[in-house]
Amino acid sequence: MAAATPKSIKTQTNIYRKSYLSPSSSTLLTPQTPETLTPLRRSARHVSRRIDLGNGQENIASINGRERESIEEMNLIQKRERAPRKRTTDDDFEAKLKKPENLTTPKKKNGKSKKDSLVSEVSFSPVSPNRSETTKKRKKTEEKKTSSNKRVYYNKVEFDGVEFEVGDDVYVKRREDAVSDEEEDPEIEDCRICFKSGSNVMIECDDCLGGFHLKCLKPPLKEVPEGDWICGFCEVRKSGQTLEAPKPPEGKKLMRTAREKLLSSDLWAARIEKLWREADGVYWIRAHWYMIPEETASGRQKHNLKRELYLTNDFADIEMECILRHCFVKCPKEFSKASNDGNDVFLCEYEYDVHWHSFKRLAELADGDSESDHEWNSKKEEEEIDSDDEEMEFDDDEESGRGDSKSKRGGSTSARAANSLKGRFFGLEKVGAKRIPEHVRCHKQTELEKAKATLLLATRPKSLPCRNKEMEEITAFIKGSISDDQCLGRCMYIHGVPGTGKTISVLSVMKNLKAEVEAGSVNPYCFVEINGLKLASPENIYTVIYEALSGHRVSWKKALHSLNERFAEGKKIGKEDDKPCILLIDELDLLVTRNQSVLYNILDWPTKPNSKLIVLGIANTMDLPEKLLPRISSRMGIQRLCFGPYNHTQLQEIISTRLKGIDAFEKPAIEFASRKVAAISGDARRALEICRRAAEVADYRLKSNKTAAKNQLVIMGDVDAAIQEMFQAPHIQVMKSVSKLSKIFLTAMVHELYKTGMAETTFDKVAATVSSFCFSNGEAFPGWDILLKVGCELGECRIILCEPGERHRLQKLQLNFPSDDVAFALKDNKDLPWLANYL
Amino acid sequence: MGKENPAEKALNLIRGRLCDPTFVFRPLSVSSDSNYSKLKFIVSTSITEGCNNSILLLGPRGSGKAAVLDLVIGDLLEEYPDSVSVIRLNGLLHSDDNCAFKEIARQLCMEHHLLFSKMASFDENSQFIIAMLRECGLAHKTVIFVLDEFDMFAQGKQRLLYSLLDAMQSVTSQAVVVGISSRLDADQLLEKRVRSRFSHRKILFLPPSREEFDSLLEHLLSLPSDSSFPSGYVSQFNEKIKSIISDTRFKNMLKTFFNANSTVNSLLKYMLSLDVRFRAVSLMNLESGLLSLENFKAALSSLQRQPKLEAVKDCSIVELYLLVCMRRLEVKEQSSYNFISVMKEYKTIHDSFQTSDYYAQNVCLRAFEHLKERAVICYAENRGQFQTGEYRPMKLLISASELHQGMRSHACCPAMLLKLLDH
Repeated sequence: MAAATPKSIKTQTNIYRKSYLSPSSSTLLTPQTPETLTPLRRSARHVSRRIDLGNGQENIASINGRERESIEEMNLIQKRERAPRKRTTDDDFEAKLKKPENLTTPKKKNGKSKKDSLVSEVSFSPVSPNRSETTKKRKKTEEKKTSSNKRVYYNKVEFDGVEFEVGDDVYVKRREDAVSDEEEDPEIEDCRICFKSGSNVMIECDDCLGGFHLKCLKPPLKEVPEGDWICGFCEVRKSGQTLEAPKPPEGKKLMRTAREKLLSSDLWAARIEKLWREADGVYWIRAHWYMIPEETASGRQKHNLKRELYLTNDFADIEMECILRHCFVKCPKEFSKASNDGNDVFLCEYEYDVHWHSFKRLAELADGDSESDHEWNSKKEEEEIDSDDEEMEFDDDEESGRGDSKSKRGGSTSARAANSLKGRFFGLEKVGAKRIPEHVRCHKQTELEKAKATLLLATRPKSLPCRNKEMEEITAFIKGSISDDQCLGRCMYIHGVPGTGKTISVLSVMKNLKAEVEAGSVNPYCFVEINGLKLASPENIYTVIYEALSGHRVSWKKALHSLNERFAEGKKIGKEDDKPCILLIDELDLLVTRNQSVLYNILDWPTKPNSKLIVLGIANTMDLPEKLLPRISSRMGIQRLCFGPYNHTQLQEIISTRLKGIDAFEKPAIEFASRKVAAISGDARRALEICRRAAEVADYRLKSNKTAAKNQLVIMGDVDAAIQEMFQAPHIQVMKSVSKLSKIFLTAMVHELYKTGMAETTFDKVAATVSSFCFSNGEAFPGWDILLKVGCELGECRIILCEPGERHRLQKLQLNFPSDDVAFALKDNKDLPWLANYL
Repeated sequence: MGKENPAEKALNLIRGRLCDPTFVFRPLSVSSDSNYSKLKFIVSTSITEGCNNSILLLGPRGSGKAAVLDLVIGDLLEEYPDSVSVIRLNGLLHSDDNCAFKEIARQLCMEHHLLFSKMASFDENSQFIIAMLRECGLAHKTVIFVLDEFDMFAQGKQRLLYSLLDAMQSVTSQAVVVGISSRLDADQLLEKRVRSRFSHRKILFLPPSREEFDSLLEHLLSLPSDSSFPSGYVSQFNEKIKSIISDTRFKNMLKTFFNANSTVNSLLKYMLSLDVRFRAVSLMNLESGLLSLENFKAALSSLQRQPKLEAVKDCSIVELYLLVCMRRLEVKEQSSYNFISVMKEYKTIHDSFQTSDYYAQNVCLRAFEHLKERAVICYAENRGQFQTGEYRPMKLLISASELHQGMRSHACCPAMLLKLLDH
C-alpha cells in the first residue's frame, strides 16, 4: 500500500492565481475550529439534496475542459436520478474526472428529500438560465432582488472568479489575522537556493518538500530523476552535520506557500460537501475537514508521508469567504500518478474519527474501481434508511448549539444496541485502528505476495475470461426483456456446479448494463439481488424484495400482499417509478418449501401482463425445475443457461489473466494445477485456491530456509504439495501413526471383513480376532475394556464407524474407508511386521 | 511447619506445568516443520497481507489442536495487539444457526465495546456481522473465527458457514476461519457450494514420535536449576528422573501405555495420575520426596482399569449364577432370553446339580435388576418399554473370557459354577 511520493515538478501554473480580495471587510464569522464542532457522521453523509443544474451554457462558453466535464456529470446525475439502483461510477467517466470525490456526491441523492420546507423541488432540467445567472455573478444588487427567504442549494458556485463545486477540496483560512499579514498568497513556490520563482522547472525534495530549480542545484540536473530525490541540505542533515541553508536575500521575506502553511497547521483543508446561499445572500459551504497527521491523537507516525492528510468525520458550516483556493486531495493510486500537478496535491487514504481517535481506510478506496453492485446497493440502502435520522440531526444542528448536540448524540449512541437494526447499526464508528499498523504501509510486496493477493477469491477480476458466450446470452436476455416498450416479464434459470462463475457473470452483465443505462442506450431498471441461503426463512424473501423496492420493512405477509398488488395488478409501491425490475435469486433451491408456494409466487409474477419483472434464478442442480411441481417447472423451465465446468485450458487462462504482469509462477505449475482441478471438478475457486496455497507453500519454503534463493518462483513441487493437501484425505497418514493396538484392531477388522464378506461386524468378534492375533504373535492382549476404548477412539476419527461404547460387546463396527487403504497403510509397518500376513 | 516442603513445592510446580498447554506444546513447536509454525505462518500472513483464509485443523482427540491454536493466537495477540480479534464458537453449543449468529454478534460487541441486544433477529445479526466485518477490514483488523467441533457446524443447511465464507469473498473483509475437528472427513461433510468457498488449508495433527516423547517427558518432569529449591534436592531429583527414563523397565511400561493410545494428552493424563500417587508417597515419606519407578507403575495400573472385570469380581453368588445361566443359554444358541427363561435355566441347573444356593424368584429378580444397573447386562432392544422388565429380552454385555477371568479372581466363587460355565 505504500504509495511513493510523487516526484512533483513544480510547473508554473497560473490557473488559480487570482487577485484575492481581502475578506476582512465582509466576513461575519470566522470559521469555527474543528475541535469544537460536532462531527457526528462518518464519511460523506451530508449531502446537498437540491442541486442546481442550471449553469450550463455560460460555462461551456468559457472554454474550460473541466467545466465541460462537470456538465456532463450533471447530465449523468440526471440520468442516475431516474435509475437509482445503479453504480454511479463508470470507468471511462471516472478516468476523465480528476477527483474521485466528485463521484461520491451523486450517490446520495436518492434519499428522501429533507428540508422540504426550505427549498422547493428543483427540477433536473439541464438548462435553466435564470438560476445560472444568479450563481454566475455575484452582485449584491442582483442578489437582493432574487433572494427569497429560502436557502438555495447549489452544485457549483462561481465565487470571485473561481468555480467551486460540491466535492472540491479547498484551503480554508484558519484565523482572520493570519491572512492579513500576507497580502499575496504565494501560488508559486520560490526556489530554496535562488529565492526566485521564475518559470524554470523545479524539483521537489522528498524529505523537506522544498522546491529547487534544476539549474540551481550543484551539480545542475538536466531532468527530473526517477525515484526518490533528496536535496543536498537534507542529505547533510541526515548524516549528522549541520549546513546553513542559504539565507534569503535582504528585504525579501521568505514566502510560505499554502501547502507549507497547511502542513504546519496554519491553514486548513476541507472538502466541500454542500454549497448554499442563505436568505441574506451570503454563500456558505459545509466543510468536511481534513486533518494533518500532527493533529491526530497519535501524532505523526513513522509511515506517514509528507503530504498525507486524513479525512475526518468533522463538519462545519463556514462562509465561502474563508476559502482560500483549491487544493487536490487524492487517493494513493492517483497520487502516485499525479506527478506534475504542482504543489497543492495531497494524499488521503484514511479516515480519522475525531471522537474515538481511530483510523479507518476510506471505504470508497478500499472497494476499488471494481466495486460490485451488491456492495453499492447495500450502501445505498443504508443511506436511504438513514435519512429520517439525519433529518433529526439536522434540526439539532440548527436549533441548538453545536456543543450540546454533541453530548446529546453521544448519549443516544451509547444507549443503542449495536446489533439491532434501527435505521442503521449504531456504534460502528467505534471500530477503528488506534494507529495505522506499520506493516500495512511500509511493506514492499514481493512478487509472491502480489501473486497471492491477486489470486484471492475476494479480488474481483478485471475481466472474466471464458464466459463470453454465457454473458452475451444473459445480456441478450435482459436487454430483450427490458428494452421492449411493453416490457414482458420473463424468467431464466442458470445452473452449473459451484465455482463456475455464475453469479459473477450475472453481476458483471449488470454492471455493463448500468454503464449503458448511464449512456442512455438502455432503459433504466431496478435491480434486486437476493441470496437464498442468507434468508432466515424462504418467506423472508418477500420482505427483502419489498424493502429493496420501497425502502420499508414490513412483515412478509404484508410484503407479499403489496408485492402481489404491484406485480399482478400493477399498483405502485410508494413513489417508485414504473421501471422494470430485475430480480436475481442466488441459491434458488433454498427457496423450495413444502408446498413450494414461495417459488410459485415469484415465478408466477413475471407471467402477469403488467409485472415488468424479470427473474434470474441461480442454482447448482441441473434438474431443479423437474424436481418441482409441474406448475412451477412450466413457468421456470423454459429458458435455461448452463455453466459447464471449466476445462483445463480455460482454468489456465483464468489463472494467467489474474497473474498477468507478475512473475511468480512457473508455466508448467499453472498447467499442472489447472489440469488437476479440471479433472476433478472444474471449479475455478478451487484452482485459484490451489495456486494461492502453492504460493504460500513457496513463500514458507523460501522464508524458512534463509538462503537467498535466486529462484523466487512457485515450482511444480509446491503445486503438488498444495494439491496433496487439498485433495488427499488424511486418513492414511493417521492410520500410519496411530497406536499399536489400533493398528491391530484395524487389521482384525479387515480380516473379519475378508473372512465373512460382511461389512458390519460386532466388537465381540473383532476382540476375539485381536486376542487370537496377539496370542499367536507374542503380543500382550490388553483386555477387553482397553480394546473397547481403542475402538471408540478410532470411531471418533471416523476411521471406523461405530455405535456408542456402552453397547460394549454388541457394538456394531464398520470400516469407513476401503479395506485396501488400511492394507496399504499398515502393510510395511516396522513395529508390527506380522500384520501383513493378515491383510 | 513454617517452611514449605520442597517435595510439595516440586509437586505443585509439575502439576502446574502439566495443566498448562503452552508449556507442554512450546517445545514441540520450535522446528519449522511443526504445525505451530505452519499455522502461524498462514494466520500471520493473512493479518499482514489483509487476506481471508480458512483452515481446518484435523487430528485425533488429545493431539493438541486447540492448544497449538491457542498458542498461535496468543503470540499473534502479542505481536499485533490492536489488529486481531478472536471469536470462539463451539459446535456442541452453537450448532444452531440462529444461536451461532447471536453469539458471534455478542462477541463482536464485547470485543469492540458496543452495546449488544439480545432481541436482535437473525436478519439483523447477520447484517450486523457483515457490516462489522467490513468495518474491521477497513480498520486493518483481522477477525479470527475459531470453530471448535467443526463437524457439528456442518449439519443442516450450513447457513453459518456459508454466510461467513461468502462474506469473506469481498475485498474489504479480513477474516480467518479456523475449524477444529477430530473427524478426518470433516471437509467432506460440507455442502458443495460451501466447500467451493472454503480455502481448504488442512493441517493434520499426528502423535509425536517416541524420541520426542522422551524429551518431552524430561522437559516436563525435571526441575529448573535456577529456582528456590535447595540445590541438592534439584540435582537429586533430576538425576532420579533421568535414571527412571533411561530404565528399560520404565521404557517397557511406557510402551505398553502407548500401545493403547499415543497422543500427547494421554501422556499428560498419565502424568497427572502419577502426580496423585506421588503426592501420596511424598506425604508419607517427607525426607526423600523423589519420584520412583513404583510410582509410575501404580499410576499406569490406575489408568488401565478394566471396569467390566471388576464388576464381575464384585458380584454376589446369585448374580454369578444368573450370569452363568445366561452364558449357558448363549452357548445353546438361544439368542434371545429374558428373566423368565433365565430363571428356567437356573431351575434346571439347580435340579440337576442339587446346589445349595437356591434363591427365590423375587431375590433373583433383585439380583437381575442389580446386574442391569451395573451395565453387565442390558435390554436387547429399546422397543417394548411397555413390557415389564422380566419379559423383555436381555443381552449379556460381557464376553465369555471376561466372565471366566472374573469368576476365577472372585473371592468366593463356588467351583461348581466354573465347571458349569465350561459346558
